[in-house]
This record gives sequence, structure tokens and C-alpha cells, in this order.
Amino acid sequence: MIALSDYLILGAILFAISVAGIYLNRKNVIILLMSIELMLLAVNLNFIAFSHYLNDLAGQVFVFFILTVAAAESAIGLAIIIVLFRRRHTINIEDLDTLKG
Amino acid sequence: MPEWILYLLDFLPDWDWLHVLLVSLIKVVAIFIPLVVAVAYLPYAERKIIGYMQIRIGPNRVGPRGWLQPIADAMKLIFKEIIVPTKSNKYLFILAPILAIGPAFAVWSVIPFTDTLVLADINAGLLFVLAMTSVGVYGIIIAGWASNSKYAFLSSMRAAAQIVSYELAMGFALVTVLMAAGSLNLREIVLAQGGGLTNWYLWPLFPMFMVYFISGVAETNRSPFDVAEGESEIVGGFSIEYSGMTFAVFFLAEYANMILISALTSLMFLGGWMSPFGAVSDVLLLGDGIHWLLLKTSILLFFFLWFRATFPRYRYDQIMRLGWKVFIPLTIIWIVFMGVMMFLTPWGYLFH
Amino acid sequence: MTFEQLAFYFLASVAVIAAGLVITVRNPVRAAMFLILTFFTVAVIWLLLEAEFLAIVLVLVYVGAVMVLFLFVVMMLDVDVDQLREGFAEYLPIGMTVAVIILLQLVIIFTSGPFDIEQMPAPAAAAADYGNTHQLGLLLYTYYVYPFELAAALLLLAIVAAISLSLRGRLSSKRQNPDAQVRVHKDDRLRVVKMNAEKQD
Repeated sequence: MIALSDYLILGAILFAISVAGIYLNRKNVIILLMSIELMLLAVNLNFIAFSHYLNDLAGQVFVFFILTVAAAESAIGLAIIIVLFRRRHTINIEDLDTLKG
Repeated sequence: MPEWILYLLDFLPDWDWLHVLLVSLIKVVAIFIPLVVAVAYLPYAERKIIGYMQIRIGPNRVGPRGWLQPIADAMKLIFKEIIVPTKSNKYLFILAPILAIGPAFAVWSVIPFTDTLVLADINAGLLFVLAMTSVGVYGIIIAGWASNSKYAFLSSMRAAAQIVSYELAMGFALVTVLMAAGSLNLREIVLAQGGGLTNWYLWPLFPMFMVYFISGVAETNRSPFDVAEGESEIVGGFSIEYSGMTFAVFFLAEYANMILISALTSLMFLGGWMSPFGAVSDVLLLGDGIHWLLLKTSILLFFFLWFRATFPRYRYDQIMRLGWKVFIPLTIIWIVFMGVMMFLTPWGYLFH
Repeated sequence: MTFEQLAFYFLASVAVIAAGLVITVRNPVRAAMFLILTFFTVAVIWLLLEAEFLAIVLVLVYVGAVMVLFLFVVMMLDVDVDQLREGFAEYLPIGMTVAVIILLQLVIIFTSGPFDIEQMPAPAAAAADYGNTHQLGLLLYTYYVYPFELAAALLLLAIVAAISLSLRGRLSSKRQNPDAQVRVHKDDRLRVVKMNAEKQD
């Protein structure tokens, strides 16, 4: 039988991979956004595992809302990247330093 | 069963799931083989029917009256050389046709052919159909990108945007079917339309039938919505760099999607395997049966071919306008209208 | 090893390998493809957890729409990947250290006791006509209807924001007006004039 801890450990591994992804791809905005999506996926897995083992559907309702917000956030984030790229022709974060004092 | 098979099977930990697996495999083959034959003969039917509509005979040389034409086409495509462009991304180039044809065949697992003939009778069948048709867009995007050719890329972006836009209209139209049937299970949706021609969802949901079918034509990039792959527009569109077996797979995927949309429309709106004669169930061919589903699917496929022969091509911005500004508002208004009618007025029984 | 355990370990290893490849491959298009694989695999794991509605919604929304958006953006932005991966090898040791420390901390907590199979046994199998979608719908439209409406308003906000951010102004792009084109009438384009025949000498 699969214990709850197995699902939680899988979520933890996905979360750690996404943290490593943010660390390693610090310049590429698109891979950063993908790592954030991975992070949200790990958290969602956690919620659904708990919802299953505690027999409570509230976890799944919360995942429903997290999916909604994550989709909205990635849409707006990518729109911002497109507009930024039109102006600056780069997605290297080091070149996006106009606000630097 | 021979004894040595039983001896070998003792090494397996569990006999139950293996049994289920084998039965499922047999069902998969039983669905797959007729589907592949249908997909192979559909282009032949298209050429003949469009030929007769244009007062000429279609292919009639290969075999008696041209019946072996698909076999000749298949042999040609198999023996043609698969050319991979130099600067293209080789793995993605080979992956794209697989991504195109996988979802097209995967949806057939939830389609009920009769009351008992269904591979996977799941309670979220409608959702599964929507999800798999959404995944079908990746084959086109990756094909255009991996071809490393400007025209292929442009056409694949357009085709992908078109598919995603019409997916929304299709999803909303299916929500109205869901409201009328009260279940996501495709088998129960068909059973809710039992009892004859008057109980089909075609009548209370007629605008949704039109929206769903026309969106289906746009989803599969068929005429008159084939701006992304029409020959006078952009030659081959996203499949321009593909030759031989890889092109054959795209071709198969498109025709499999056509048959799928026709089958789904006949399940959702035309009563599936239910006969239009209602209570007459003991007369041999007038009762419910798989032949009604096949007949309705064939009629809708004829419409697909008829559209190709008749209508001129839409322009791309006209396609986008139709999807976003006409179909989606129409479906949303119909959902609200249905909701009000079903729950707030005494005429709700019309929609069930 | 039951079938369920076999399926879980296979799917978990595919998900972890795909997630690892997302952050390490050079080509951003391939990274997006591996992310799609990760989402798909985790959706199947959710099916194991009897959350069928959310599993299919994950495929429908994330794989079917959000990743298509990602792919569009990645394909249209002509990026120089070599420059973007400059700091990769330099930051690799400390990145891996931080990730491993986070992982170890989480794993220590998760295997400490309250989440084992004895404390939290697997729930009893549901009745044959239990529908996950049905139950979720019953909950969403009664107890959680306010958050539901707020989520709808949030999505509308996201649509308006994304369109207004990336819309090029009217002055900078030529466009046709299909409504006017469709509504054109024969009398606007053609005027039939009656003229007397003239003699040609």
C-alpha cells in the first residue's frame, strides 16, 4: 500500500527541483516561470494527497482555486514578457535593469 | 489453455490485473483495426464524392472501380523516403506526428458504440474528450517549429490559434449537453436521448449542434477553415517538410479527428446508437444498435466532405472573428437561457 | 508489490526525471515539452488519488492551454540560449546544496511518524456510484460559491490585463473591419445609370 508519506516525499522532490531550477536558471525568465509552475504543481500534489487520506474534499477545492490563480498568473506573466521583449529584445534578466538607482 | 502457459503465469504476482489488461488489449485492437481501415478509406470516399459533386469520376483505375486506391496510397507513403531537414530539431521533428495522432486515437477509448460496447465507461467521459482534443494541438505546434521553415512555422501558429479558439466554443456547447443530460458519462448522455427521434438533443439544442459541428470542422482544419493548410494558401502548411510515413501519420491524424468529431456529434446530439423509431425494438434493424451510430457518423462525414466541395475558404481574421465574436457569445447566451428555462420556468421538461 | 504501488513508483520516477530535465536542458522548447510530460504524469498520479475531475482539469487547463501559451512565447522570442546559461556551472554546487537541504528537511518531517500508513491509513474504497465531479460540484456551488465567483472575476481580470498589455494600438497596425465588410450592400458598390444611346458619326 502507498502511504501518505510517499506522496508527500514526491511533492517535496518536485518542490526541491523547482527551487534548484530557480537557482540555476537565474537569467532566463521563461525557465523561471516554468519553475514556478513546477512549484505550484508540487503544492497541488500535496493538497490532493491530504484530501484523499483525510477524506475531505476541501483540499481538492483549494487545488481548483490554485489552478485558476496559477493559470491567470502565467498568462499575465507571459504577456509582460512579450511586451518587455518587444521593447528590449532580450529576456536576459541582467539587461532588465532600468530601475537601478 | 496449455499447461506451460499456466505454469509461466504462476510467476506473476496477480492474475486479476493481467486478466483485465488482456481483455482491454483485445478491446483496443477491436476498436483500432476498424478505425484504421475507416481512416484509410475516408480519403478515397472524399475523392470519389467530391469528384461526383464536380461531375467527374474520382479515382477509378486501381482495382475494381478504384477500391484499392487507399492501398496504393499507403504503399507509396510507406516507401517514400523520410527527409529530415538539416537544421531541424530531429527529436521534435519525429515527435510531432506522434503527438498529433496519439490523442486522436486515445479518445476512442471512451466512445460508447452500444450500451455495452465501450472500452472505458468512465464517469468523466466528456471531460476526457475535451482534455484529449486539447492535447491534439501540440502535434501541430511542434511540427511547425521543428521544421525550421518560416512558412511552416507561420502556418502552425495560425492553425494552433484557430484550434484553441474553437475548442472554447466546443467546450461550451458540450456544457449545454451536460446540463441537459445531467451526467458526464457518454453512455448516459446517449441513454438520456432514448425513446425516438423527438428525444434527441438536436431539437432543444439546435444552435449548439450547429456551433459544435462547425467548430469541429474548424478544429480539424478542414475546409472552409483550412487557411493553415490549404494548397493555394501555404502549400502544405505545417506538414510541408514532412514526407513519407511521417506525412502519412499527420494525414491519418486529421482524418481520425474528422471521424471522431462526427462520432461525438452523433453521440451528443443525434442519439448515438438509439434508433429514431423509439419503442420498436424487436424488429431486426429498426431497434437500437451500432448500425445507427455508424449511419449517423457517415451522414456527418458526408457533410464534412460536402463543405469541402462547396464553400470557398474563409480568411484568417474572419475565422477568428467567427470563433470569438459569434460562437462563444452564442454558447454563453444559450447556457444562461437553458439554465433559466430549466430551473425557473415550467417549460424545463423540454430540455431534458 | 501491488499494481498500484508499481504504477505509483513508475509514474513518480518519470515525473521526477522529467522535472529534472526541465531545468537542465538547453533548448527552451524541449524544456517546455518536458514540463508537459511532468504535468501529464502528475495528472495520472492524481487519478491514483481518486481526484479524477482535477486530474482531467489539469490536463485540460495546464497542458491544453497554459503550456500552449508558454510554447507560443518561447517560439516567438528569438533568444540566445548560450548567454542565458552563463552562470549555470558556476551556481550549480550552491544551487544543488540549497535544494538538497530543503529536500532533506521536508523528508525528515514527512517520514517522522504522523504520515505513515498506520497513523493515516488509506481510506476505504468509495461506493460504486460515488462521483468525484458530482461531490466537488455539490461543495463548490454551496459552501464555496463566493470564492468561486471571485475566481471568475479574477480570470476576467487576467483576460483584460493580458489583452491590454499585448495589444498593439490602433495606430500602429492596419486592420480590416469584417463587420463592415460583411454588411456591404450591392447599392454601395455599384450604381446602375440609364443612358440614352448616342449616335456615333
